[in-house]
Amino acid sequence: MGKSDKVMDICLLAGEIMLTNGAETYRVEETLERMAKAASMKNVHCFATTTGIFLSFEEEGKDDHMQMVRVDDRLQDLNKVTEVNQVSREFVSGELDVETAEAKLEDIAKASVPYPLWLIHLSAGIAGSGFSFLFGGDWPDLLPAFIAAILTSITVVEFERYLKVRFAAEFMAAFIGGSVAIALVFFGVGDNINQIVIGSLMPLVPGVPLTNAVRDLMSGDLVAGVSRGAEALLTSLSIASGVAFAISLFL
Amino acid sequence: MFFIELIICFIATVGFGVIFSVPKRALLLGGGIGVVAYTVLSGGLYFGASPVFSTAMASLTAALIAHFLARYVRIPVTTLAIPGILPLVPGSRAYFTMLAFVDGEYLTGLEYGVETMLRAGAIAAGLVFALAVFSFGKGIGHRYETSR
Repeated sequence: MGKSDKVMDICLLAGEIMLTNGAETYRVEETLERMAKAASMKNVHCFATTTGIFLSFEEEGKDDHMQMVRVDDRLQDLNKVTEVNQVSREFVSGELDVETAEAKLEDIAKASVPYPLWLIHLSAGIAGSGFSFLFGGDWPDLLPAFIAAILTSITVVEFERYLKVRFAAEFMAAFIGGSVAIALVFFGVGDNINQIVIGSLMPLVPGVPLTNAVRDLMSGDLVAGVSRGAEALLTSLSIASGVAFAISLFL
Repeated sequence: MFFIELIICFIATVGFGVIFSVPKRALLLGGGIGVVAYTVLSGGLYFGASPVFSTAMASLTAALIAHFLARYVRIPVTTLAIPGILPLVPGSRAYFTMLAFVDGEYLTGLEYGVETMLRAGAIAAGLVFALAVFSFGKGIGHRYETSR
């Protein structure tokens, strides 16, 4: 295997990790182009959308190369984006050679989320109850919002793990969170039902696609920006319909 | 009372950072940016500015700080900007929009819906302005090839 094959592999691996875990399209394109240029490839072009990456370059005096990867999953693990960013920075400045960069990238690809799952659920609860307070809730509303937000977070994670249906996970999570909030208020825990329901839904907010859509549109990646915006919109709509379902059933 | 709100905002924003798996060294920074954004939003509302304008100003402030800090600690700017703008998300308005539509009060729902859209747009506008400030000379061609 020649050097250019190796470079192509690490570039696409880096791009795939970044795009899967919620990096902006422009960051993927820029990182890949910089890495390929640092490995002394000529005529480097990269095109990334929300669902795939194309990369082409030519090695001086040898063949042209062009490959693509398809990206299906879209997760939110900003830690991996940061780590790949660091690796690419070191690779471009010459601190890492191709082999070590590949080993590092494969480690990053295999690594799990930096925080244990119970901590993520716990902080979903804390964030949910905190926002229910900020949106005008009261002290007694903190506990029910905490419980409902934790259940929302557990539902969305477990539903996605076993059934792997997009948007349905958010729908179910919103439905369960809303139902639990209504039930808790019915049994006398907490007063302001609206604030508790809002708090229980906050962990589902599609923050990553929303921010990335703006960023992508601004840097000229119109296809990626519009598709990310549509994704954020669909997620919000499925959350809204899930909680609307719960409210029209139980309230 | 406002101080308690700020503390709760900080804790909630850090919690959101954990949900989005923000790296450990950026967690507290993100929480701090969230608190600043919430302060600007509340300050704007206190001095009688419209909610949309206050949201835009808060989002602009958060995004500017996020860009500065991202350069300083060498970290992708989204890891700081996403927790920073979360306290501005119009979750409450969106919920009441949905509630009005479920109750069949379409006019109220539209009213709330427009406000939700405007506030979300204000967040986007703040992000775009901050981005524009930090990308002088790096933007893309748009109308004429003036440099030719």
